[in-house]
Amino acid sequence: MASLGSFLLLATFVVCSYSAAVSVAGARRRSRPLIESGVGAFYLTAALMTVASAVMINAFLTNDYSIKYVAHYSDSVQPLFYKITSYWGGLDGSIMFWVFLLSIFGTLAVYVNRERHRELIPYVVATIAVVQMFFLYLMVVHKNPFTTFLTTVPADGNGLNPLLQNYWMAIHPPSLYTGFVGMTIPFAFCIAALVTGHLDDSWLRAVRRWTMFAWLFLTFGLTLGMIWAYEVLGWGGYWGWDPVENAGLLPWFTATAFLHSVMVQERRSMLRVWNVILVITTFFLTIFGTFMTRSGVVQSVHAFGDDPMLARLFTIFMVAILTFSFGLVIYRLPLLKARNELDSWVSREAAFLVNNWVLLFAALFVLFGTMFPTLSEAIMGQRLTVAAPFFNKWLIPIGLILLFLTGVGPLLAWRKSTVRNLLEQFLWPGVATATTLAATTALGIPVWAPGLCFALCALVTATIVQEFLRGGNVRRRNTGTDLFTAIIGLVGRNKRRYGGYIVHLGIVLIFLGFAGSGSKKEQLFRLKLHDQATIGAFTLRNDGVKVSDDGQKQMATAYISVSQNGKPIESMYPGRSVFRKHEDEEARTDVAIRRSLAQDLYLVLAPDVDFGTQTITLQAFVNPLVDWIWLGFGVLAFGTGIALLPERAYSFALAKLPAEAATTAVVLLAGLLLSGVSLKAQQHQVDPNVAVTPSKNALEEQLRGEMGCVCGTCAHEALTKCTCGTAQQMRSQLRAQIDQGKGHDEIIQAFIGIYGGQQFLQAPIDKGFNRVAWLFPYVLGATGVFAIGFAAIKWSHHSAAAPPETSATLDDPALEERLNDELRDLD
Amino acid sequence: MSSATSTKSAEDSGLQTWQFFLLAALGCATAVTFLARGQGIVSIILLGILMITTAAVGIAVLRMVRPLVSSEEDRTVMIGHRTRAALEREKHLTLRAIKELEFDRAMGKLAEADFQEMSTRLRMRAAGLLRQLDAGSGYRDQIERDLAARLKGSRYDSGSAGSHNEMQTDTGSARLSAERIAGEREASAERLCANCSTVNDADATFCKSCGVKL
Repeated sequence: MASLGSFLLLATFVVCSYSAAVSVAGARRRSRPLIESGVGAFYLTAALMTVASAVMINAFLTNDYSIKYVAHYSDSVQPLFYKITSYWGGLDGSIMFWVFLLSIFGTLAVYVNRERHRELIPYVVATIAVVQMFFLYLMVVHKNPFTTFLTTVPADGNGLNPLLQNYWMAIHPPSLYTGFVGMTIPFAFCIAALVTGHLDDSWLRAVRRWTMFAWLFLTFGLTLGMIWAYEVLGWGGYWGWDPVENAGLLPWFTATAFLHSVMVQERRSMLRVWNVILVITTFFLTIFGTFMTRSGVVQSVHAFGDDPMLARLFTIFMVAILTFSFGLVIYRLPLLKARNELDSWVSREAAFLVNNWVLLFAALFVLFGTMFPTLSEAIMGQRLTVAAPFFNKWLIPIGLILLFLTGVGPLLAWRKSTVRNLLEQFLWPGVATATTLAATTALGIPVWAPGLCFALCALVTATIVQEFLRGGNVRRRNTGTDLFTAIIGLVGRNKRRYGGYIVHLGIVLIFLGFAGSGSKKEQLFRLKLHDQATIGAFTLRNDGVKVSDDGQKQMATAYISVSQNGKPIESMYPGRSVFRKHEDEEARTDVAIRRSLAQDLYLVLAPDVDFGTQTITLQAFVNPLVDWIWLGFGVLAFGTGIALLPERAYSFALAKLPAEAATTAVVLLAGLLLSGVSLKAQQHQVDPNVAVTPSKNALEEQLRGEMGCVCGTCAHEALTKCTCGTAQQMRSQLRAQIDQGKGHDEIIQAFIGIYGGQQFLQAPIDKGFNRVAWLFPYVLGATGVFAIGFAAIKWSHHSAAAPPETSATLDDPALEERLNDELRDLD
Repeated sequence: MSSATSTKSAEDSGLQTWQFFLLAALGCATAVTFLARGQGIVSIILLGILMITTAAVGIAVLRMVRPLVSSEEDRTVMIGHRTRAALEREKHLTLRAIKELEFDRAMGKLAEADFQEMSTRLRMRAAGLLRQLDAGSGYRDQIERDLAARLKGSRYDSGSAGSHNEMQTDTGSARLSAERIAGEREASAERLCANCSTVNDADATFCKSCGVKL
């Protein structure tokens, strides 16, 4: 079986190379048989990878432990579902899964477009084949998933880490991979367009749905990661700016920018070079993200580990991608010149331009922040960390600007908006924004940033509602139906536009959830039996802690009675579990969450449980509005689904649809997402005897917040939170320094002396190279503003010889008649 | 219809090779299910999947090798350098774009002057595509349409002039139609590429299809 698998991988590599070579040869020689043979070989790649995947899964299901990969990630008692999902559990298998997905998507893309975009197909095939060849080469020479043990075959496997045996964990990687791999298709079409010179909008149309599809799964994968981090990791948050999290976010930014700027090219033939660059960058970032996760250049709880040879191979591939792609862009620059100029800054084109700039800024900033430790190590020899506070500080204003653009963009006219235009469009959204801002200020919510966020959410919602109502009225006048049917028909006839508006609504809900984190509460309580504590409106009482055992694991469960505003509501059971086969590993945190749309009550049982006196340390969080994030994703997915529907999927535009259909879908999606399982914890070496004792004074509390644990297995948690042995040691050192009466800076210097560097700091000191970290966002922002200003000025010079438009009617009345007939038939 | 005008080749009416693979796969899967019974459902499903994937590999190998060895003619309808399907799609998308413009104007997102300019350009493009599609369907349809129009007119003008004259009229009409089409092409030469007959925008310098300077 293993040798069959290895042979299949090798055969696939050979077939891929044939496919690439023959496609290019056929295109150059205009030889139809060669091109068709290349396409056939491309389909063969998909078939071979399917067989290889089947062989791998067969190996898992038949417990073939002669294969190292199977022995590592499976055992005989592992449930069937997790045996199958172990396929992508490790590095080698995940690369094979990547090639498998790419071959399937590539086959689909080529098959669907074989007639419409005939001239592009050979080069699409060649590009995808080359990417496949790289990953196959990686497997064949370095990380073959079918490697066997040379001598003794183990009797049983190690089994998948039980902390990974979780439903959400199983679908999070495939969703992310679908997102990443899907971005290769637009890249392939872009390269084909550049090579053939067919740079009109046809290549864009071929890739629009693919990009949206990949984007949806990327968003889904990221959301799943957030849900999982929230429900399982037990630190009360959902996004830690971990390098691997950022690796998934980077292509998301550029893909979002592309989905918007493509509209400008279609409508006004502008931003053509920019779109090409965006597609290439998105693909590059997917490869870069894979490189970051697998090579060991960044430290992360997610990372696969250190692998210098892999790093080298990836680096060569990435350099090749950049050189070849941007070389082609430069070569084709004359054909990519814009046909139109920017007529006004108060126009939709300008709004899209700013939207793109902001998204790109965010992407570059996150990239820089993620690579900062590597850069600082390369340049200065010491690894500096940039943690969550740094990212949050910059990305909050960015997010608010994006939210603002989301509201304002749809209201602006193409080319230029007149004052009257603006008044008409902005009246009601403006009123809604002002009212919300006034209301939130009156309620005591700080304007920066929650108040502003709520106000902007109101702006976007008002804009969307206005668009639906006005569009419905326009359609109602044209078709003579009632408003409700008109709106349904409106969505059916403008799926992309109104699907997009629904997606924006989803974004609004997600931002609502983000805004809530501004008033998050977090407290640590040491509770003896029957002791009570209060957090927010909730009162928590320790009713004891019990130990139980179900054969697979031993669990310590705390019984907490919860009251809200004096009224008892329910009991919650935070706990910790130790698995029989994995006693030396970290105990699993079983977080208890009480959800409601207004807020979540989130309880974590700390390791230092005293069973004798039934005393526990309870970490309690109140997270306002966090459930709106998950709900928002459901709405976003629904909107994307509508936008993805094929053209003819709504031919019964006049038929009435039950309104419940949409609501049911959203509720189902939301229900699916909210029914999370509370499993999985971090691979963190927690010392059960450690308790985070309260700080002595304000200085100690401040320093604990500024310093992060350097154990290397936690996500660089602040000393206020981390409960591992290293963090405890650091806290003792800090207490010793404080007892000596030292000041803030002296203590920092002392720690630098102890640890030989600044890696313990959550954010680097503002000096020397570190200043780059602070300066970079400003420099980037300024550069972006200059670049946009320059482009805008260049575009605003009206060309002297604008071709005069010919007569408004066609010469041929019969043809005009036919055109009008066809237009009428479209509706 | 006689077989002379039929486009189906003799090969199509017999058993096609890919059908053979599919039947073989189904047969093997059935056989394997019987042989493997008692070994558990997972085993049977896996073997069944293996049969299907092997058949897929067989079909794909066929697809890869056949173009190199057979002399099958490419039956895709081409108009100029583009396929009919591509032109149809572009026409559809152009019409969609016109409708979107109209909607934007109705919603107040597009000034009237801008609408006229953008809409005219799109209508020109759509008309050009319609013409290309008409031309590509062969002169037959165009001629029949012209004939129908002329015959309707000539029936009132003169009586029947006999078959010979009719034939002359027919040929004359055909020639006139052809000339008219050529004339139309010349008239809009600045939009049609001389090399590949693709309709380009009025302000284009290079053909967007073949890259030749217009």
